[in-house]
Amino acid sequence: MDLQATTSSVSKGCFVFKPSGKKRKRSIGKYICLANSDDRENGKQRFAICQRLWGKIKGDTEALQDELNKKILDSLLEFSRKWASSFQCKPDDWASHMRANEIPTAALVLGVNVPDHDMTLQSLSDLLQSSVTPFVVSVQAKECAALKHLMQRVFERLMGVGITVDEEDEEESSHCNTAVHQKRVHCSMNTLCQWYKSVTKKYSAVSPDEKRSVLNKDALPNPPVVVIFKDLEGFNPRVLQDFILICSRYTQELPLMFIFGIATSPSTIQNMLPHSVSSLLCIQLFQSLSCTQHLATVIDKLLLTHHFPFKLSGKVLQVLVSIFLYHDFSVRNFIKGLQLALLEHFHSQALSVLCCEKKEALLSAQTLSHQDVERIRQLPSFMRYVESQEPQEQVELLTSDERVKETCEKLLKNLRKYHKNYYPVLRCLHSLTSALPKYPLGKQIRELYVSCLEKNVWESSEYGSAMQLLRMLAKDELVAALQKCTDVLEQCKAKKMKRASQQLKEYISKFEKLDRHSAGDNTAEDFTSPEKSLQKKTDLFHLQKTLLEMKESRRTKKMSPFEVLRNEVLDFISSLVRTHLALPDEQPLHEVSYFSSSAVLRHHLNATPRNSIQTALSHPYRYLQNEALKTDAGTVSSAAPDICIVYKLHLECGRLINLYDWLEAYSTVVSAAEGKDPESADYGKVDELKHARFIQAVSELEFLGFVKSTKQKTDHVARLTWGGC
Amino acid sequence: MPVQLQHSGYSAEKLQSLTESLPCREAQASTLLALMGEPDQYSYPSIFIYGHRASGKSYVTLRVLKELELPHAAVSCVECVSPGLLFEQVLLSLFGHTAASSLPRCPSLSDFVRLYKQLCSQNPAKQTRYIVLDRAELLRDMEVNLLPGFLRLQELVDDNVTVILLSEIVWDKFRPNTGLFEPLLLHFPDYTKAELQKILARDSHPSYPQELYSFYINILLGVFYSVCRDLRELRHLAALNFPKFCEPLENGEAKESDTHKLWRNIEPHLKKAMQTVYLREISSVQWEQQQEMMEKEAMAPKGLSAYTHVELPYYSKFLLIAAYLASYNPARTDRRFFLKHHGKMKKTNFLKKHEKTSNHLLGPKPFPLDRLLAIFYSVVDSRVAPTASVFSQISSLVTLQLLTLVGHDDQLDSPKYKCAVSLDFICAISRTVSFDIVRYLYDFL
Amino acid sequence: MSKRKSRETHMTSGECVSQVQRILRERFCHQGLPEKPVGLDSQYKHLLELLKRTAVHGESNSILIVGPRGTGKTMLLSCVLRELMDINEVQKNLLQVYLNGLLQTDDRIALREITRQLNLENVVGDKVFGSFAENLGFLLEALRKGDRGSSQPVLFVLDEFDLFAHHKNQTLLYNLLDVSQSAQAPVAVVGLTCRLDVLELLEKRVKSRFSHRQILVASSLTFGQYLDNVRSQLSLPQDFPDARFGQEWNDSVAKLCEDKSVEEILQKQFNSSKDFRSLHLLLLLALSRVNVSSPTLRAVDLLEASRLCTVDAKANMLHGLSILELCLIISMKHLNDIYDGEPFNFQMVHNEYKKFIQRKSNSVHNYEKPVILKAFEHLLQLELIKLVDGSSSKTQREYQLVRLLLDHGQIMEALQRYPQCPTDVKQWAVSSLA
Repeated sequence: MDLQATTSSVSKGCFVFKPSGKKRKRSIGKYICLANSDDRENGKQRFAICQRLWGKIKGDTEALQDELNKKILDSLLEFSRKWASSFQCKPDDWASHMRANEIPTAALVLGVNVPDHDMTLQSLSDLLQSSVTPFVVSVQAKECAALKHLMQRVFERLMGVGITVDEEDEEESSHCNTAVHQKRVHCSMNTLCQWYKSVTKKYSAVSPDEKRSVLNKDALPNPPVVVIFKDLEGFNPRVLQDFILICSRYTQELPLMFIFGIATSPSTIQNMLPHSVSSLLCIQLFQSLSCTQHLATVIDKLLLTHHFPFKLSGKVLQVLVSIFLYHDFSVRNFIKGLQLALLEHFHSQALSVLCCEKKEALLSAQTLSHQDVERIRQLPSFMRYVESQEPQEQVELLTSDERVKETCEKLLKNLRKYHKNYYPVLRCLHSLTSALPKYPLGKQIRELYVSCLEKNVWESSEYGSAMQLLRMLAKDELVAALQKCTDVLEQCKAKKMKRASQQLKEYISKFEKLDRHSAGDNTAEDFTSPEKSLQKKTDLFHLQKTLLEMKESRRTKKMSPFEVLRNEVLDFISSLVRTHLALPDEQPLHEVSYFSSSAVLRHHLNATPRNSIQTALSHPYRYLQNEALKTDAGTVSSAAPDICIVYKLHLECGRLINLYDWLEAYSTVVSAAEGKDPESADYGKVDELKHARFIQAVSELEFLGFVKSTKQKTDHVARLTWGGC
Repeated sequence: MPVQLQHSGYSAEKLQSLTESLPCREAQASTLLALMGEPDQYSYPSIFIYGHRASGKSYVTLRVLKELELPHAAVSCVECVSPGLLFEQVLLSLFGHTAASSLPRCPSLSDFVRLYKQLCSQNPAKQTRYIVLDRAELLRDMEVNLLPGFLRLQELVDDNVTVILLSEIVWDKFRPNTGLFEPLLLHFPDYTKAELQKILARDSHPSYPQELYSFYINILLGVFYSVCRDLRELRHLAALNFPKFCEPLENGEAKESDTHKLWRNIEPHLKKAMQTVYLREISSVQWEQQQEMMEKEAMAPKGLSAYTHVELPYYSKFLLIAAYLASYNPARTDRRFFLKHHGKMKKTNFLKKHEKTSNHLLGPKPFPLDRLLAIFYSVVDSRVAPTASVFSQISSLVTLQLLTLVGHDDQLDSPKYKCAVSLDFICAISRTVSFDIVRYLYDFL
Repeated sequence: MSKRKSRETHMTSGECVSQVQRILRERFCHQGLPEKPVGLDSQYKHLLELLKRTAVHGESNSILIVGPRGTGKTMLLSCVLRELMDINEVQKNLLQVYLNGLLQTDDRIALREITRQLNLENVVGDKVFGSFAENLGFLLEALRKGDRGSSQPVLFVLDEFDLFAHHKNQTLLYNLLDVSQSAQAPVAVVGLTCRLDVLELLEKRVKSRFSHRQILVASSLTFGQYLDNVRSQLSLPQDFPDARFGQEWNDSVAKLCEDKSVEEILQKQFNSSKDFRSLHLLLLLALSRVNVSSPTLRAVDLLEASRLCTVDAKANMLHGLSILELCLIISMKHLNDIYDGEPFNFQMVHNEYKKFIQRKSNSVHNYEKPVILKAFEHLLQLELIKLVDGSSSKTQREYQLVRLLLDHGQIMEALQRYPQCPTDVKQWAVSSLA
């Protein structure tokens, strides 16, 4: 059942599609306001903020998409331009003449995250249309069952022959009507050629400035005709072969060009096309960047920045990431998840009014209603803060709203500062550790981020080992790493960070100085020598060993100036970490901007319909909340709804269920519920009513897809579920 | 000097030019001419010409018809999505536009014949008309009456017309059980090595001497002749690898005289080309680009099938692995593989190899969904909830053609699947999740 | 231009040859009618009688002319009609309608055709008819409205008669035969077919309306007659413009027919099939070798022609394969021997091939799998091997089951004729061990 339920929606690709963003947003407003109708005002405000934030996020991600695809799209454009120009002046050099009538083909490998493809291909075709040729057609597998249809689609979209649906239907059914006539004429390739000639003549005819409007400045006298096959895997090989064969006969008159959108791997082309056909193509490969990189950039741009006041807690982030990694590779879905989190946050957290840009936040902080102030007082983080104050101050905070508002402003400012410093330090820690062998703190920055959100990094053993490894770095490596850190810190404006980067700079210069004296200084060398051996990244075990022996040496000899300096630097770094990478949960008012209810998110994004049905059937109490139904695990009270009883009974049966036995068992259970005494004659005897109820229950089960009637055996039904899950 | 084509009824110089344009095909051309007879004489109703790809079937036929300016219509059956198109094109090129447009919608053969009759009664044939149908094997897939109809077209329209069918497939495969008008069979044999040499040598590079090029062709044939005799392919290969061949000459390492050096230079290179270029795995353009690359770091050119790796979500990988196991292991062995403590299963009765051949020879077997899931849950390390997205991944694997749905996809309960990936592929996948699949495969026990 | 020349009695050899070509080609290609059908005299008489009755006395009739392809059914009919048309009352009276099962693929088309051939389009105009019968009736009615009281006799010739039997509940046949039964209008229905079991195809109601007249055209020629026929077919008519050349030609033809080797060939041809068309094919091939330089028909020409006719196409194709493809074929052959004729898939073939390579690595270059797969596909394209119906396109190509459509002999012959085939491969082919 589940499978089928999803299949329909995912015929396009991997993944369950949620309703489109627009539809949801319309409902948002009501959703949030209704949530707490006591103060609509606040609700409206939150809704507005939510909208704004989402709009921002959306815009940024789209920009990101384009920027990420830029490289491959450009190369594709380059490719098509090259061919287009070669179409113009048939170059009469030997080589190109030898490879006449090959159709240039771009094999565009997009990865398995099918839902994301459309966007890419769409922007591609737009780009082509704007800059290379007006003649771009994209076709999908599911609309091209037969060669006839494929050609129809291509022709329609090229020549703009509007063919309405009903005509097509006629075309399918009856044999002679005008629509068919038209199409028959259209569908021959040389009519297309004639059309092309006429059109191109028109283009060359129109005056240059007009042409600019049609095409762009480098418009060619006869631009190529590009056919984009969106999902190559889906196409029927025969159809594709025939189409290519036909096209190849017209390469002279018609400058054709193909683009294959491939989800899996280029070798599918080989699998689909026999040699005789593939020899007609001039295939060039284009690999889009992997979706994990894509995700990394998205996270980097959206989450690891203080520009967005809205934050995810570690758990939530993990949920989203794991959905991405385990189930779909779809960035689009990731962002949708983010959207959902945003929505949930603004819905559930009344204080999210404060979760917005600085000025606005401060403003709304002043105009907090009494209720909100109370809410603030309830916040655990705020309470903790209060306790940390002097008693007199505490009283103030607990009594006067104004006081609270002031502090609230202060705290908001602090929170903001905290974020300002948090991310730079995080990045610079990552840049230090990401080069280490075995990545103690994780390769991707998101892993580091998660662990930082979970608990204080510096208390973790990984952190310790990382530091140890750092303490063994050779100079050049270390300096390089530090350099990176400084670059990171350079970028942000926060004073603290500026200072930090200054210090690092000084350290670096010190290192260089050191370098200069200790030229030819033998002590330095024989210490650096074991470290040199570390430069080639050896396995951890080996590292430990060397580490030990270095401890030895350290005990015996005094440390070289280099080592001293190195320790200083690392201490400085770790001090940075300790000061700035503190847990967000410890920050007062963090609830305002952190969304932490991962369960909700998982429940929405990674639904388990089957489970919920089964729990409903096996533990009706969960839903009905009727004390009578409360039972210990495994059993079902005989007072439960019929379907539950029937379900329970059917779990004990095998592949085939004898209806009569089933009925018997059922009636026994039910009559137990009626509280008849087991001795009485008609105990467990089947009357019409029970029979009717039983039948109804069974048909309900059938409707839910647990059983179905079978021909194998008379008055039996077949079970469709396996095990007793 | 090739034998001069000669035939009464055609001017000598035309035949002369024809001869030149048809190297190594004089024999076939002259036979064809002889069969066609003089333009105003009757010719056999239908001629069936068969031979391998690029053995000059259509080329010779069309050359002859064009050079001698005989009225003819050349149609490739690939293009004819509907018979209507076929008729249209024939009439178009025999009688011009007006004729073609006067065809009714979705014309039947009888319409065609009627129209043809009426047209050629208007302008009766002074010369034999020819209808050339390329890739005639496709006629078999169209309406049943089409092929027999065209074979006896002369009789049907009662006009001096000859239908020439071209195909790679032998005539025996065309004959329906009730039989039909037998055409005149004519075979175009494949070119011999010498002939290939001769023809390929014709298109020599302008800036290099003729004999050098023919020497190069000689080497080329030495490598490729055993695998490919398709003239088109060979020409393509020649064109691509020639620059490489010339390199030593360009940078003065060798003179045109020291052939051995040239040979040593090009030979291994050609062998490499067999993998990629011959299979058209990389385009001519890319091939040339990769030439430069290979100069720098000595790596073999990567073909399309070199990029078999597919990035999949974590669970999709396991689903695929499970599918592979399910379709290559007999179901009865599942207990042995996937139960932690599979009781007392005697090694003997488990390992009874009554199957003659291994499953990797016979191919994947279909399996029901629940078996897939059972195996999936036992191979995947963590506990996975049967979420909607797990199921959706299965169907998405189907759309990616990594799994195939067996039977009708309308049966809701227990759909059956097959795994459609190769052993290497699945091994690569399972390596990424550090799952030793070979240990779980019945064939490799 | 040669036409004008041919007025004169003397011509250059070139012109003579082209004349000969013209005349003979007329016979061979366009089935030019002989003055008298050979060996079909009784059938001829019978048919003529029958049609005369319809044409002259206006009585309806129906008859089937049955015989294998190319035995001269059409020829017989048209000879009869030729004679019939010489009677001038018939000429202006009899109407003819030719229908062909290949063209009139359904009754709608057929009816339109009939209307056209009786040129009654204008009469029918855009009337709409309830049933087929009604329509046909109207047509025949329209004929009656001729100048004479009784309506004109119509001759329906149904070529490929068996195909009409496949039309939707045989409406056309039913109605035609029905008309021919009930004397509403004088029609003669003549069906030509090569299916001897054609009557089995007819529905009961149709069958019952058919007068079970059949003419069986199976040429019962003796070889002698056959030979005479060949001679007559080849020899020029008396009124050949250049008498001397004509005479020479005919003499040479006569001589040719005595020739032993020629006789053998013809014997062979005769034994394989007696029908005329295949004979015509043979003769045409021979004739096509006659030209100015060799103005007479020689034995070698005929030999050559017969060679062309009897060549094994598959062997030809095999000759064109590459070594690799040949190797695959051989391994398939071995597979056939192992699993006596069971279908196999690429994987198995590849296995066999690998085994061979391991044994004889030096002889054949060891190709990678994709290359081999391509070769395999090529064989599939050439239909030298064929997919088993069951194996759907869904299964991977490596595992699709196929059958080899070549027999042992063909493969061996091909191997013998193969240019520079490595000896190892040959041995492998003959060796029993796979």
